[in-house]
Amino acid sequence: MALMEAEQEELMRLLGSVAQGNRKAFQQLYERISGRMYGLCFKLAGQQELAEEALQDAFIRIWHHAGEYHSERGAPLSWMMTIARYRTLDLMRARKVRQTAGDDLLEHVEDERHGPLEASLHQAGSAALTGCLEELSEVQRDSILLSYYRGFTHDELAEALSSPIGTVKSWIRRGLIALKRCLER
Amino acid sequence: MNKTPERIESLAAEYVLGSLRGPARRRFERWMMESVRVRQEVWFWETRLGELTGAVEEKRPPEAVWQRIEQRLWSDRGHPAKARTTTPPTRTPRGAWFWPGWSLLATAAALVMAVVLVRQPAPVAYPQLSGAIVQQNVADPLWLVSETTVDNRLKLRPVAAAEPEQGKDYELWIVPEQGDPLSLGVLPVGGIYQVTLTDAAREALSRSRTLAISLEPKGGSPTGAPTGPILHVTKLYEL
Repeated sequence: MALMEAEQEELMRLLGSVAQGNRKAFQQLYERISGRMYGLCFKLAGQQELAEEALQDAFIRIWHHAGEYHSERGAPLSWMMTIARYRTLDLMRARKVRQTAGDDLLEHVEDERHGPLEASLHQAGSAALTGCLEELSEVQRDSILLSYYRGFTHDELAEALSSPIGTVKSWIRRGLIALKRCLER
Repeated sequence: MNKTPERIESLAAEYVLGSLRGPARRRFERWMMESVRVRQEVWFWETRLGELTGAVEEKRPPEAVWQRIEQRLWSDRGHPAKARTTTPPTRTPRGAWFWPGWSLLATAAALVMAVVLVRQPAPVAYPQLSGAIVQQNVADPLWLVSETTVDNRLKLRPVAAAEPEQGKDYELWIVPEQGDPLSLGVLPVGGIYQVTLTDAAREALSRSRTLAISLEPKGGSPTGAPTGPILHVTKLYEL
């Protein structure tokens, strides 16, 4: 926990210097978080080329907009990861990247939920979200996680989970509202 | 469509998740532009769902990615680095990838300049100042004010500023602790306004931290002192 805080402080310091146009700080920032960011972009896009482009674009944006970060947007890392995630989703939409579950869907979903997700979320002190995810029904949780990590559209989810699109939409909607109620408790 | 709290809550979550698409996504982005409440809801989800990214395995990007970033930012063929201080990011041509989409978030972010966390050691004796010129009953600030201490420059970026009435101009002033206001020139609403402060002006501003905007005849006050009504007075914050 203390480690995490120290890291966020360091990222905050670097972001501050980047806002001042400090290129060295920018490079340090890249060295620190590009692995995590690229991992996220790659997981979402499922392909190297798009993930690389998203990563590049995200850093260009961070360079230009570092000064606009503020605490309401979450921790510095979360803000930067959000930038990368939106950019990846934008590119996926623009290129009409189609996500299919493939044979490993169920396994994949299992992995996300019970594998690395649990451990690192706890590590990050995110017990609240983890605990709340557990309160959702399985289909709600799977729909949300597939949208979040893999950028599945409603259509793709309907196909992957063999359910009508209306049903999938309502899983997501209800799942998110339940998640919020739980997080607010 | 009605902006009920429930609807905002639900759409914000789907926006962040990415499942909100097409026209619905664009409509929601307009809502974000119009309302702090909507933006805050989005930030809530960005932060909370953002916790999920911690679970993703790291992956080392190819070396070439960093080189391409450097090239795009600083190669002579690209945009010179200087451009970042003079080109407003919001002037990016439409159709560029970060506009409208999530640059709206960035605009939204800028509204809360007062709590900007960018903490920097002041390179000179003066603290760096920042703030916003706001108007009651207008959700967005009219201008955002920031200062670069390195070259003593004050920068005002219009956000919700409206054109002055016909035949008039806005004029920017430093209101010192004592004595007459110091003019910083006519303030346009169409783009970023940058003014280099003289040492005396810098000194006065760092003491009073107060700026004012008056309505003047076209071209600015003929007398060197405010002649029209003082429209706005703002106190800057120390970053």
